[in-house]
Amino acid sequence: MSGIVSYGYYVPRYRIKTETIAAQWGKCDDKIEKSLKVHEKAVAGLDEDVATMSYAASTMAFGDIKETKQSIGAVFIGSETFPYAVKPVSTSIAEWLDIPHGYLALDTQFACKAATGALIAAHGLVASKQIDHALICAADRANAKPNDALEYAAGSGANAWVLGNENVLAEIEGWSSYSSDTPDFWRRSKQDYPSHAGRFSGEPGYFQHLLSASNNLLTKLNRTAENYTYAAFHMPNGAFPLKAAKSLGFTVDQLKASYIVPQLGNSYAASALMGLVGTLEVAQPGETIFFCSYGSGAGADAISFKVTKEILKRRRVFAETLQQKTYIDYATYLRFMGMI
Amino acid sequence: MKSPVSAWRKQKTVRNSLGMYGEIISWTTISVAPPRFSYLTPYVVVLVQLQDNRKVYGQLVDVEQKDVKIGQKVTSILRKTAQATAEEVVEYGLKFELTD
Amino acid sequence: MKNNVIGYYSTKFGELWERSLDDLLREALHGVLAETQLEAAQIDAIFLGNMLGGIVERSLLLSAHISEILGTNIPVYRVESACASGGMAFQMANDYLKANSGKTVIVIGAEKMTDVSPGEITEALSAAASPEEQDAGLTFPGVYALMAQYYLAKYGYTEEHLASIAVKNHDHGALNEKAHFQRAIDLNQVLGSQYVAFPLKVLDSSPISDGAAAVIMTNVDTLINNHKSVQVLAAETATDTISLSKRENLDELKATRIAGDKAFQTAGIARSDVQVMEVHDCFSIAEIFALEDLGFWTKGQGGKLAKEMSTHINSGNNLIVNTSGGLKAAGHPVGGTGIKQIGEVYLQLTGQANKRQVNNVKHGLTHNVGGSGGVAVVSILGV
Repeated sequence: MSGIVSYGYYVPRYRIKTETIAAQWGKCDDKIEKSLKVHEKAVAGLDEDVATMSYAASTMAFGDIKETKQSIGAVFIGSETFPYAVKPVSTSIAEWLDIPHGYLALDTQFACKAATGALIAAHGLVASKQIDHALICAADRANAKPNDALEYAAGSGANAWVLGNENVLAEIEGWSSYSSDTPDFWRRSKQDYPSHAGRFSGEPGYFQHLLSASNNLLTKLNRTAENYTYAAFHMPNGAFPLKAAKSLGFTVDQLKASYIVPQLGNSYAASALMGLVGTLEVAQPGETIFFCSYGSGAGADAISFKVTKEILKRRRVFAETLQQKTYIDYATYLRFMGMI
Repeated sequence: MKSPVSAWRKQKTVRNSLGMYGEIISWTTISVAPPRFSYLTPYVVVLVQLQDNRKVYGQLVDVEQKDVKIGQKVTSILRKTAQATAEEVVEYGLKFELTD
Repeated sequence: MKNNVIGYYSTKFGELWERSLDDLLREALHGVLAETQLEAAQIDAIFLGNMLGGIVERSLLLSAHISEILGTNIPVYRVESACASGGMAFQMANDYLKANSGKTVIVIGAEKMTDVSPGEITEALSAAASPEEQDAGLTFPGVYALMAQYYLAKYGYTEEHLASIAVKNHDHGALNEKAHFQRAIDLNQVLGSQYVAFPLKVLDSSPISDGAAAVIMTNVDTLINNHKSVQVLAAETATDTISLSKRENLDELKATRIAGDKAFQTAGIARSDVQVMEVHDCFSIAEIFALEDLGFWTKGQGGKLAKEMSTHINSGNNLIVNTSGGLKAAGHPVGGTGIKQIGEVYLQLTGQANKRQVNNVKHGLTHNVGGSGGVAVVSILGV
C-alpha cells in the first residue's frame, strides 16, 4: 500500500516571541497571545530560503535510505515563498541530492496547502505503480507586513516526504479534497507581503473548507473522530485548529502531538505537515492519524494515515531539537526577513 | 555578478562536499565585506579539514564569535552565499554549522 | 656589467583626490627622469607594475598611456602580480637587463585606489584570492586573518604581539615625508581600533592608498659611474598555490622562503650582511611571517621579537625593518609598493634617507608579496 516511506523536517534556529513583536507596536501582548495562542515563531536566517530549508529536510528524509534516491520518479515542492517567480526549485533540490534525472519535477503553489496537493498527486502516481518513489517538499519563509495581524504567526520551516509502496511507515488510507473560489488571502505578483480579508478567512475560509474536506473523508471511510488515535490540522494560529478539532469531535489529547504552532508559528505550506512530523514522533504501529491542511483561496486536503511497524526504524526526534533556539529582537527579525 | 553558467558548474562540486563532517583549522570574522556579502556582516568564515582530508572554506552559520574555536567539529550544509540582485540567479554554496 | 639602480622618485602616497592614474604615472615618470637628469630618449624600455587598472579604473593597455605621457614609442611591459606587481616588474626588468647589455630602463609601479568605495576596493582586491575564497565571502584581510589566527593559537601569542608591528612602522612612517601616515600610534590605539577580519583590526592593516614610484635601472657603465648607484645583487621570485587551503602550512609563506633562499644564493651574501629591509607588511601578521620565512627569525619566535620591537630604528640592533613605514604607514598603492621598497633601500644605501637614515648600510633587501603568498619577490641590493 502506498504511503510515507521516510520523512524529514527543518526548523531554523531563530525565534521571535509574540511579546517582542507586540511590544514593538505598543500592543498588549497578553491579549494577543491569548487570542492567537502563539507564544513564539521560528524565523529563517538571512541565508536561508525555501530551497535551502527543503534541502535540509530532504537530507534528513534520505538519511538512512540513500539508495531510494535512485528510484525517485517525482520531485514536487509546494510553497508560497519561492525564491523565483519563474524557475523551478524542485530541480535544484533534486540536483543537490544527486537524484538521477529521470524524474517529474513540479513546483506548486496554493497558499498553505501547496504541498499537500502535490502529496496527493504523488500518491496517485505511486499507488498506481507509475513511479516507485516520490519526494515531496513543503517549505515557507513566510513574511508579513509589519504591524499586520499575520506578523505574530508567519514563520519559517520545511519538511520532506518520501512516498513509496514498500517499507511504508504510514499508509495513506484515503483522502478527500474540498475547493472553492474564496479570496480570503492572496499575494499579487511583485508584492512583498500577502494581503488578507481579515475575519473572512475564518468561517467562509478555513472552517468551511477544512471541516467539509474532513467530514467528507470521515464519511468516505465510514469513520468518526473516535476511530483515530491522532489528528493534525493546518495551524494559521493556535485557536483555529483547536476549534476545528472540537467541532469534528477530536479531543485535545488527539491533537496534542501535532499542535506545535505555539512554539513554531505558522510555517505556511509546511505548517499542517509539521504537525504530522510531531505526531509521527509519538505514533505507534497500528495507530491512525487524521490529517487536514488548508490553503487560502481556498481548499483543504484531508488525508487518513495508518502507522506501521516501520515507524520504529525511521522515527525522527522532533520536540527535543526544537529547544535548540536563539531568540532575536525585532530589529534583527526585520533584518533577517529582508525588511531593512 | 555571478554567471548562471558558473553557478551551474558549481552545483556538482558543492554537492560532493555537502553533509560531511570536518574540523576547524582556522577561522575569522569578516566585518568589512565585499558589497555582495555585506548583508551578512559580521560573519564567521572557517577553513575546515573534511573527513576525506580535503580542506575547504565556508561560512559558519548561526553562531556567535565567542563560541568558535580551532579544532571544533562542524558539518557542511547548504545556504545562500553572495547576495544576488533581482535580475541574477540566487547563489547557493557550502557553509558549516557546529556539530552537536 | 652589473645592473644598478641609479635613481628613484616617488609621489606622495595617500588619498590623492586630485590625481588620476595617468597623473600618478606622469609625475613618477618625469620625476625619476628629472632626478637622474636623463631624457626619455635615453630609456630603452619601461616595466610597469599595476594591479587594478583594469578592474577599478577600467583602464587596460597602460603601455600606450605611458607612450602618450612620455612621447616615446619604446616597449612598455605591464606586469600584474596583485600586490607584488611592482616587485615583479622589477624582477623582470632585472632579467631583461641581464639579457641585454648597454640598456637603461624605467621600472614604475602605480595604483589608483581611492576613486571607488572601500567595499568596491575590497572586492577588487579579493580578485587576487581564489574563487573558493571569494565564494566563501573571504576578503584579503580575511585570508590573512585565517593565517594570523592559526599562528597566534599555535605559538600562544595575542593580538598585542601583532599590534607591535603597526606601532613600530608608524614610528618609522613619521620620519618619511612621502608616507601616507606620518604620525606615531600606540598599542592601545591599535588594539582599540575596529576589527576588519578578526583578529586583524584597521590598524593592523595597510591603508588604501594612491601613489606611484619609479626607479631607473641600467647596465651602462657611464650612467652607473656618474650617478649615486646601487648594485642589484639579486631579484628572485617564487610562486605558490592561489588558495590557502591547498598549502601544507598555514603559518608560513612558502613562496617567501623559496624566493628568499634563491636571492641569498644569487647575491652570495649572508643574512647577517643585511642592515635594512623593506618587507611586505600588508597586515601586521605578514611582517612576522616575512622575518621568519626569510630566515632572519626562527619560526614561532616572531611574535616575541615583534613585541620587543627588535627591528625598530631606535633599537640599536643591526637589522632595521621597514624604515619607510612599511605598507602600514607609508601606504600601499598595491602596484607601487614593490618599487617604493626598492627605492627606500636605494635611499638607505646611498645615504639619502634623511631623518630615517640608518648608519653604515651596505646591503638591503626588499620583499614583495602578491595575494596571500601566491607570489613573492625578494631582491637584494648592495653598495
